[in-house]
Amino acid sequence: MQSVDVNLTSTRVSVSWNPAQLGLAGVLGAIEALGFKPVPLSGAAADSARRAERHSMLKRIGLAGLAAMQMSMYTVGLYAGALTGIEPWLAQLLRVTSMLLAVPVMFYSGWPFLLGAWHDLRRRALGMDVPVAAALLLAFTASVVNTLRDSGQVYFDSVAMFIFFLLVGRFVEMNVRRGSLDAGEALARTLPAKVTRLKADGGSEKVLLADLAAGDRILVAHGAVVPVDAVLAEGSTLVDESLITGESVPVTRTAGQVLPGGALNLGGPCQLVATRDVRGSTLASMVGLIERAQAERPPQAMAADRYASQFVLWIVLLSLVVAGAWLWINPARAFEAVLSVLVVTCPCALSLATPVALAAATTRLARRGVLVTRAHALEGLAGVDTVVLDKTGTLTSARMQLGDTRLHAGLDQARCLALAASLEQHSAHPLASAFTEATAARLTFGSVREVTGLGLEGELGGTTWRIGQRAFVAALAGPSLATPPGLALGAGAPDDDHLWLGSAAGMAAEFELIDTLRPDAQAGVAQLRALGLEVRIASGDRAATVQRVATALGIAAASGRMTPDDKQALIRQLQASGRKVLMVGDGINDGPVLAAANVSAAMGGGAAIAHAAADLLLMNESLGSVAAAVDTGRGTARLVRANLRWALAYNLCAVPLAAAGLVPPWLAAVGMSCSSLYVVWRARRFVGAP
Amino acid sequence: MTIALLLIPLALVLLGGAIYAFFWAVDNDQFEDLDTVARHALDDDPPPPPPAPLPSDSPTP
Repeated sequence: MQSVDVNLTSTRVSVSWNPAQLGLAGVLGAIEALGFKPVPLSGAAADSARRAERHSMLKRIGLAGLAAMQMSMYTVGLYAGALTGIEPWLAQLLRVTSMLLAVPVMFYSGWPFLLGAWHDLRRRALGMDVPVAAALLLAFTASVVNTLRDSGQVYFDSVAMFIFFLLVGRFVEMNVRRGSLDAGEALARTLPAKVTRLKADGGSEKVLLADLAAGDRILVAHGAVVPVDAVLAEGSTLVDESLITGESVPVTRTAGQVLPGGALNLGGPCQLVATRDVRGSTLASMVGLIERAQAERPPQAMAADRYASQFVLWIVLLSLVVAGAWLWINPARAFEAVLSVLVVTCPCALSLATPVALAAATTRLARRGVLVTRAHALEGLAGVDTVVLDKTGTLTSARMQLGDTRLHAGLDQARCLALAASLEQHSAHPLASAFTEATAARLTFGSVREVTGLGLEGELGGTTWRIGQRAFVAALAGPSLATPPGLALGAGAPDDDHLWLGSAAGMAAEFELIDTLRPDAQAGVAQLRALGLEVRIASGDRAATVQRVATALGIAAASGRMTPDDKQALIRQLQASGRKVLMVGDGINDGPVLAAANVSAAMGGGAAIAHAAADLLLMNESLGSVAAAVDTGRGTARLVRANLRWALAYNLCAVPLAAAGLVPPWLAAVGMSCSSLYVVWRARRFVGAP
Repeated sequence: MTIALLLIPLALVLLGGAIYAFFWAVDNDQFEDLDTVARHALDDDPPPPPPAPLPSDSPTP
């Protein structure tokens, strides 16, 4: 075998092996030898395996709980009898009945712990199950011996209660850990199984969601979920996209706009044209990213596991010491003290503290529209002290505005604008959006064609016009006009935010396009500052443009005309001076830059989320959620520390009491469970209200 | 206290009944979804079909 990646949360394992040396059967055999049942990864099989696990867990809990209740009655009888006198046959009847009940509890409900300990020992490792199983076997065996001897103390009720509380703790933990995965799966589950597809002849048919292909026309009723990413074909509607973006205010979408799969249609019935099938849709990509994040084990969680393992070793040593001491002082009480120490120190709280907090933070961020795609991101966020923002797409929206217009051939400005706006309305390019609001009469161009990446060409009244990049237009307008008199403006400036208009008669006009600040940029930067972060801008755009944006936002450290290498160098330099950098970019063409930062975030809207290289995806495309993410990262670090402190403090208090023989085994079971449940409860609270 | 000879077996029988009922409920998915089923009473349409398989999973192993 070459590599094994275990994903505890989604209970998946990826194994790479060389088939020349080892067959599939060998791999499966090795997995089974470790005590796991391999289930092939398919939706239905994984789902039913998980359901079966949940069912058996519930049954074990139910049996242990019901039996524990019954047994504690018998124990009350025995205690009362010990005080006021009891007929020996009745006491023996109660003990034997308890034993009969304890057998299924021990070997059905408690089986996971016994099995876990057995596998741990066979691997020569010390896991959480080892002291648990030791305590269970010790208490059970001693009680059986005492029952058969017809005298002495029995602990059957403590055994049942211990198993019950341990199982409840594991069940709750299982649910919290799966919470973040379920967030993604819940998304997928909201999709309808069947959708209404409109046929070309005007009729409609119900088809399975999986059979829906890109290009299909579908009908989505009021209150129904948009099944796949789709373009609104006509009219407008109100949609709730909170599942995807965390944004709770419904938004109005008009014809031509894309609705993500999973959005809820709050308006009237509307017709959509699917742009992707269900597997390529935003929702499926999100689920995939969540799973990838959980497949990675963050260093923090691995450290916690190591500590837990060392801790178990100390417990075993400690109980041996306690046993020795009590045998010397008072052999009659040695057994109970050792039992209490084993039970009370069960390191559940310690090993739960970190994973539960991380899972809770992931869920919390998902609800605020931030998708965690890398496991180390949450840890990194807590330490971040510098935020580097790319300008385009993060501080400024993709929508352009028309700036200065320079006329070349003495034409009328309104006429040039009308020509440009009329040509550009045939294009879906972001730059074309600058002209959509131009108040000019639209002219009707004939034979319009778009040359990708260069511009548009159209014919009006026998004259061919071109709009687009300088070279493209100059090819038509002639090189003689490439440097018209008095046009120094264009010199040296890059073409990408300038559009040129011209015909065979020569260059007509040059339009400057400026991008607009996002409406939330101001507030977002203020929030980042409020968290004590230093905000910088690093952009590939022109220095003047960057400076204008920086001034508007009050950011001092802004640099423009940076190549991706420059940005990377800047981040390295910041890191060298001891800073932890969060880089926010558009996530599409700045992959290496994002990778260089300690944590990276990208705007997650649109098509590219599956390929985004960022650790965090901002599904609601709001800078405010960057601040929310940093805040959550810090909160998570606090939660982990508080949980570990709590687990440590609990053990420091409980162990001496138990070693001194002051804690009866049943109370130890209650205390141990409460400490674990408390840790899980705090994590749940951290998730917050949906 | 001879009545205990009757009452304790009786309690065991009741316990067995309770465990049987609980196991039956778990096996029949009574604990699968505790929230949405209650809301179906308010729906106009008949209950929805079982959920679609996850889109992210491969169709066959």
